[in-house]
Amino acid sequence: MTLKTRRQFLSLCLRGCLGAASLSALQMRFMQSVLAAEQQPFADYKALVCIFLVGGNDSLNMLIPMGGDSLQFYQQARQDLAVADALPLKPMREVEDGIGLHPSMSALLPLFEQRKLAVVSAVGSLVQPTTKAEYLSGSIIKPQHLFSHNDQQDTWMRGREPQIISRGWGAQMLELLYQQPDFASCISLAGSNLWQSGELISPFGLTHGGVPELQATRRSDVRSNVLRQATQALLTGQTHPLGSHYAQLNNNAIERSAIMRQALKLAPDFTDVFPSGNTLAAQLRKVAQIISARDSLNVGRQVFFVRMGGFDTHGDQQRLHPILLGRVAEAMAAFQQAMDDSGNSNNVTSFTMSDFGRTLSTNGDGTDHGWAGHQLVMGGAVKGGDIFGAVPQQKLGGERDVGAGRIIPEFANEQYFATLAQWFGLSAAQCLQLFPNLKNFNQANLQFV
Amino acid sequence: MIRGLLLTAVLLLTACGGSDTAAPTSVTPPPASPAPVEPTPTEPVNPVQPPPETPTPPQPVDPVEPPPGTPSPAPQPPLPEGSMSAQQAARLLQQATFGPTMADINYATGLTVRQWLDKQLALPATLHMPNVPDVIEKSHPSHYTRVEAWLQIALTKPDQLRQRVAFALSEILVTSMHHPNLDTEPLELANYYDILVRNAFGNYRDMLEEVAKSPVMGVYLSHMSNEKPDPARNIRSDENFAREVLQLFTIGLVQLNEDGTEILDKQGNTIPSYDQNTIEAFARVFTGWSSPGEYWNRKKKDLLNPMQAFEEYHDTAPKKLLNNVVLPANQTAQQDLTAALDNIFQHQNVAPFISKQLIQRLVTSNPSTEYVARVSRVFNDNGQGVKGDLAAVVSAILLDDEARYSRPYQQANFGKLREPLLKTTHLWRALGADSSSGRIRTVTVEDAHGQAPQQAPSVFNFFRPDYSPSGDLQQRGLSAPEAQLLTDDLLLETQNLFHSAINLSIKEQVTEPDERHMLLAFSDLAQLLTAEGTEALLDRYSLLFFAGDMPMQLRDLLRESEAQLQQLSAVQRAAALLYLVFISPDYAVQL
Repeated sequence: MTLKTRRQFLSLCLRGCLGAASLSALQMRFMQSVLAAEQQPFADYKALVCIFLVGGNDSLNMLIPMGGDSLQFYQQARQDLAVADALPLKPMREVEDGIGLHPSMSALLPLFEQRKLAVVSAVGSLVQPTTKAEYLSGSIIKPQHLFSHNDQQDTWMRGREPQIISRGWGAQMLELLYQQPDFASCISLAGSNLWQSGELISPFGLTHGGVPELQATRRSDVRSNVLRQATQALLTGQTHPLGSHYAQLNNNAIERSAIMRQALKLAPDFTDVFPSGNTLAAQLRKVAQIISARDSLNVGRQVFFVRMGGFDTHGDQQRLHPILLGRVAEAMAAFQQAMDDSGNSNNVTSFTMSDFGRTLSTNGDGTDHGWAGHQLVMGGAVKGGDIFGAVPQQKLGGERDVGAGRIIPEFANEQYFATLAQWFGLSAAQCLQLFPNLKNFNQANLQFV
Repeated sequence: MIRGLLLTAVLLLTACGGSDTAAPTSVTPPPASPAPVEPTPTEPVNPVQPPPETPTPPQPVDPVEPPPGTPSPAPQPPLPEGSMSAQQAARLLQQATFGPTMADINYATGLTVRQWLDKQLALPATLHMPNVPDVIEKSHPSHYTRVEAWLQIALTKPDQLRQRVAFALSEILVTSMHHPNLDTEPLELANYYDILVRNAFGNYRDMLEEVAKSPVMGVYLSHMSNEKPDPARNIRSDENFAREVLQLFTIGLVQLNEDGTEILDKQGNTIPSYDQNTIEAFARVFTGWSSPGEYWNRKKKDLLNPMQAFEEYHDTAPKKLLNNVVLPANQTAQQDLTAALDNIFQHQNVAPFISKQLIQRLVTSNPSTEYVARVSRVFNDNGQGVKGDLAAVVSAILLDDEARYSRPYQQANFGKLREPLLKTTHLWRALGADSSSGRIRTVTVEDAHGQAPQQAPSVFNFFRPDYSPSGDLQQRGLSAPEAQLLTDDLLLETQNLFHSAINLSIKEQVTEPDERHMLLAFSDLAQLLTAEGTEALLDRYSLLFFAGDMPMQLRDLLRESEAQLQQLSAVQRAAALLYLVFISPDYAVQL
């Protein structure tokens, strides 16, 4: 059964009775058995969960040197923002002078020790390997608009330089793997985003509160019936490109939300696992529920997008940044717990992205836009308990500082993406298609998952 | 397989045929609620008008027939040359106000666009901070009451054009309550908004200086208490405001032509407007400013009065700015600030960068390059040698032939998606909504619309001006900034919002309403429906919500639906049709 006939089938339900929303769980499963004939390129299930830390996380300050020159350079550079009381880490490969985790992130320490969490060191946007001399002389191609929020966010979501196309690698992976990706394979808990925008697909959006139900048409009185029919008729035959887009979005929203709402009825709640008062945790809880409902949704590969703001810590960083990191750690730890509890740990890999790292030097009470930053990768498939790549010394004026403590990345973010994409199921050739600058670097796969 | 499919479908149809009889009638909380609508002035049209200017309406380019769905215009009484018909007035009011009302349409009909603009330009400004209800009642203000003041003003005050432009400016010169040090400062945010209100018809350069010295902006983009570099402590100057004032408030990332297109080098690449060194120089310009008072860095800050210079914290070294202009050493904080803002303001990009965004906020998402160039020229010179005269710029935007005469069948891409919040103001204005207490409930405004005034998630606003969604629009190279808000959940919530705000807010029916529930009086519309028939009601809706151009397909559908709803009362029928108007894709586009 093709997706198209599945659509026709569902749309029959929607038109004929009160909508897929009113299908019972039994009917839904019956329908799934009909849909089971649908071709899946993979026998297994995998999901990538992108945790975007908006504003540019000062991620170099998540890993803190424990002694020696490294600690001295760090304290000189960071001044008031230098963190004490780091939690010592024992990575598989030793780090010179020792390394510790920011004390606010204690919730993640057990995961590192259980080898479910890895750090990828000093990642950033790069077109080709770059030295400080090459950067300063301009003899290499630099990424465009370094240090600008939206442009650098785009390099993480788009996954390729130069900035020509407005498509993201999350959606493009699905479009390479599937002829016509299912809506349930591309889900955002945080609105429209470039990472999940493909040639044709865009994410299904819901909030951590769940999927709304249409109120005007949910009853069976005359008004509901007339409005239901009229709503369907309204959403066809638009000639203006903007009106046509709006109608298409509404049609999709109505149909997809009905399916998703029904699927979520069968999903576990995970209430006890996630902390309250943490918006990232609330989003990840909904992701955990949808992953648990994947059989009802009949989907073999999924990409999820969640985000947390507040990381643009130009001011008041000493107070704000530890709070932010604490929330990230608690939310991620809870999500891994939910994956462990539901038996999905090996199938789900979560990873962070952020606009950029921040300057090592301060502006008095905060930091400014930098370049390289550390990223976290989590899940049963991850080669955890380790730090991938050399941890750069936080030394102002050092060999990787292009000014004010803006650190040249060790790894291009395209290498980071390609590693995740290969785990997800893309071939090396497909990765090169999505991330063409890989050819400029030695390692096309960083082997952290 | 197909047969099996059909069989299954039939089974399901049977199974679910009668299952929803006892759906609980949980009522979505009504959206924000009520203000007595003080009608916009309806003074009689002065018969002795200044000579009407006569923009030449482009002749129908080629004898393209209007597409099916374009109603033939109703016969109109003859009007003075250049003056607006009711439809033309309604169309202008969609672009220039928070939504046409019958009173406003009647008032504008017979005026020329220029005359209407001049009357609006002459109206005194309604400020927001003094209108926050808690200021009046001396109780504790919140962001809910700040938004309430915004709504009261949008719904009832006569200076509509100024307020609409101020709202557009608030989406360019963004500040937001979503900041850890502004989330409890509603009055201060309203006070910032008033900078935009006061300067909406003033000069962009003056406004920029007020914005730069605003303590709210100082907190939002962290140049408050920004100090000169201190190499001994490895302290640099904060780059936040320096970067965004260039990237978002004035010139943008790459060099632009007057028509808003990018200037390309010989290899076809864009040319950056500035580099990191420029940012660092501007960061040093914006040093030495803090909350007014005796001390540089007080715990309890005054966020109402403009920031004050503290010279000992200002960097006095020379600074190399845009176009290689160098500020000399030893200038005061104010001297540097003045010179730096002048330096930015003289840049060629400001006119196209700001003009195009204002066109997008008021008129159309994809203006022609010629339209942008015409407005840019006015931005650069208002005719008297003055750059940045916003009254002239706004007038040029609204007087332009492209704004006035681009029907969809003349220019297929003309128009913009309406901002969700402006749909609600339109509804409430057109129907004269009010509540029993005169107050408006605003707790659901942000969630229901995906936006609320000064509540953008970041300085990049709710949406980017160049946002282009995947699929058809992107393939056609079209932007649809407002579409960035349109997630599946918001689209459904929008339908629920209008069900709640219309079908569940019929004044004649709601018993014991919440005292802040905005109710719509449908008696007059029901009277129109019963006395003069369906077509009369549809004409009214067409004028109010489509500037007289309701597509025929929608009109047919509303007529059929009305016929099927005969067992409902007339007020309910009028409301149900209005609900369909508001959720229709036709209404979603402002043409």
